[in-house]
Amino acid sequence: MSTAWQFYISTVLVYLGVDVIACWGLNLQFGVAGLVNFAFIVFQAAGAYTAAVLTLGPAVPAARGGFQQYVGGAHLPFPLPILAAGLVGGLLAALVGGIAVRRLRSDYEAMVMLVVSLIATSVATNQVGLVNGPNGLSLVPKPLATIVNLSPIGYQWLFVGITAGICVCVYWLVHVVTSSPFGRALRAVRDNEQAAAALGKNVTGLRLLAFVLGGVLAGISGAVLVEFISAWSPGSWLYPETFVYFTAVIVGGSGNNLGVMVGALLVPVAFLEATRFIPQFGPPGLIDALQWIVVGALALVFLWFWPRGVIPERRRRFPRPAPAEAEPAPPVRAAP
Amino acid sequence: MSGASGPLVAVRDLHRRFGGVHAVNGASFEVPAGRITGLIGPNGAGKSTVLNIVAGALRPSAGTVRYRGQDVTGLPAHKLARRGIIRTFQISSEFAALTVLENLLVAAQGLRGERLWQAALGKRYWRPAERAAVQRARQLLARFDMSAKEDEYAGNLSGGQKRLLEIMRGLMAEPALLLLDEPMAGVNPSLARRIEQYLLEECAAGLSMLMIEHELAVVERLCDPVIVMAQGRVISQGTMADVRADQGVLDAYLIG
Repeated sequence: MSTAWQFYISTVLVYLGVDVIACWGLNLQFGVAGLVNFAFIVFQAAGAYTAAVLTLGPAVPAARGGFQQYVGGAHLPFPLPILAAGLVGGLLAALVGGIAVRRLRSDYEAMVMLVVSLIATSVATNQVGLVNGPNGLSLVPKPLATIVNLSPIGYQWLFVGITAGICVCVYWLVHVVTSSPFGRALRAVRDNEQAAAALGKNVTGLRLLAFVLGGVLAGISGAVLVEFISAWSPGSWLYPETFVYFTAVIVGGSGNNLGVMVGALLVPVAFLEATRFIPQFGPPGLIDALQWIVVGALALVFLWFWPRGVIPERRRRFPRPAPAEAEPAPPVRAAP
Repeated sequence: MSGASGPLVAVRDLHRRFGGVHAVNGASFEVPAGRITGLIGPNGAGKSTVLNIVAGALRPSAGTVRYRGQDVTGLPAHKLARRGIIRTFQISSEFAALTVLENLLVAAQGLRGERLWQAALGKRYWRPAERAAVQRARQLLARFDMSAKEDEYAGNLSGGQKRLLEIMRGLMAEPALLLLDEPMAGVNPSLARRIEQYLLEECAAGLSMLMIEHELAVVERLCDPVIVMAQGRVISQGTMADVRADQGVLDAYLIG
């Protein structure tokens, strides 16, 4: 395989890993707990900025030649920025969720989240001192690059491995949640809040917990992405990006971790990559615009015709006791 | 438990306003242990509002609810449920995308693995408790003649089957007090008879119930005592015979 293809494929694989982690996070919120988080991308961005700032080191003042301004810079060794990104994603989710998820019905909550997304973009763009405004952060050092001595292509594959490792850990987490009685309680809350409360479920607590877990995963996905591409700016997390993830979750199969993985492969990765290979036509930007239209149409078509997605949520069946173990039938009383 | 000899629930001077409407206007009554207490009255009498307040779904504007001698006024629904007050809904409230068996498992109280940290300890930690709950749920399904529907999505059940599921879910929680909001609404007469039978069996086994019901013949067969509400107040209580003899009750039903 030529080096160019290896670069391309390894890059796509890392993107896939990032999208899968993000979709698993969104699935916990939307698919399992029924929370419509239209600000999902904000939590990914928060994780990305956190990881970037904690890898870049302290900001250099412009007077001494620094070209980017941000708060809280530090040089942390490799896995720490990613873990911190998860933490920040979770904390931000606790903060936003503590207001929006606690008090609001899901339709209002969705609107509030959309507004949160717009506000966050606006703040990050205009408060230049926070995370370098519209120019964003760049030249984020790659993790382990100075420790391992690999060829560029070797490093690409190392990063694929790192991403895969993180995916495995995240899968463990989402599997624990969805396969356990905890996940069942979340699904009950999703299906009927009042009935769940009447059966002793702390609806607010459960929804908030799902929201925070989703925030953690969003933060981690952003961190992996920024460590890989070394740059992050407001342009990369505009609110429509959230809808790409929603489309992936809906197409793949809301509520099913495997389905969501397939959705991440089909929508953000395969679909958006495929358009690279279409010859340019029409005025510049036409293909990009069409992409958005098709992503939206895809979500609508699936919601209309296949609302449960390609791989629907699994129906839980419980093993019946083997006949030998089964309780013996009550003895038939003999007639006197 | 304190108040074991007193009433299970004692409601005192309960008020609830919705905007300008005084839905409950000074209702006081007691729910004795070990019986099916009927709550009847014309439409708009405030029965459902009272039930919602006792269940913790609504907070009263004024007044107190005591349960087993303790003041539980304004506690949220999930906390009351954990203390043993479980309610069913007038409109079927199944978890539609969960199977019938899963619906029952959700109702099991204090099940291991329902907290995140317990779930993280792995299947080996919570499986045994879940198996026991599954077994209990299957016994309940067998008793209610619903075993064949175990793996069916609850959303696909018929109206009558959803009513049964509603009651089974309530029983699965092993409540001390079951609040039933028209458990036989929209159910065919033969199934309604079966539900009556189940409720009588549960009562004989010691379960206390408070039931809203419109069909007075049913109330007559099941309930003692009976509480009659009209316009947000309790206008009469006693046995069905006492209540029937009460002129005020007659007026309330005729005049509304």
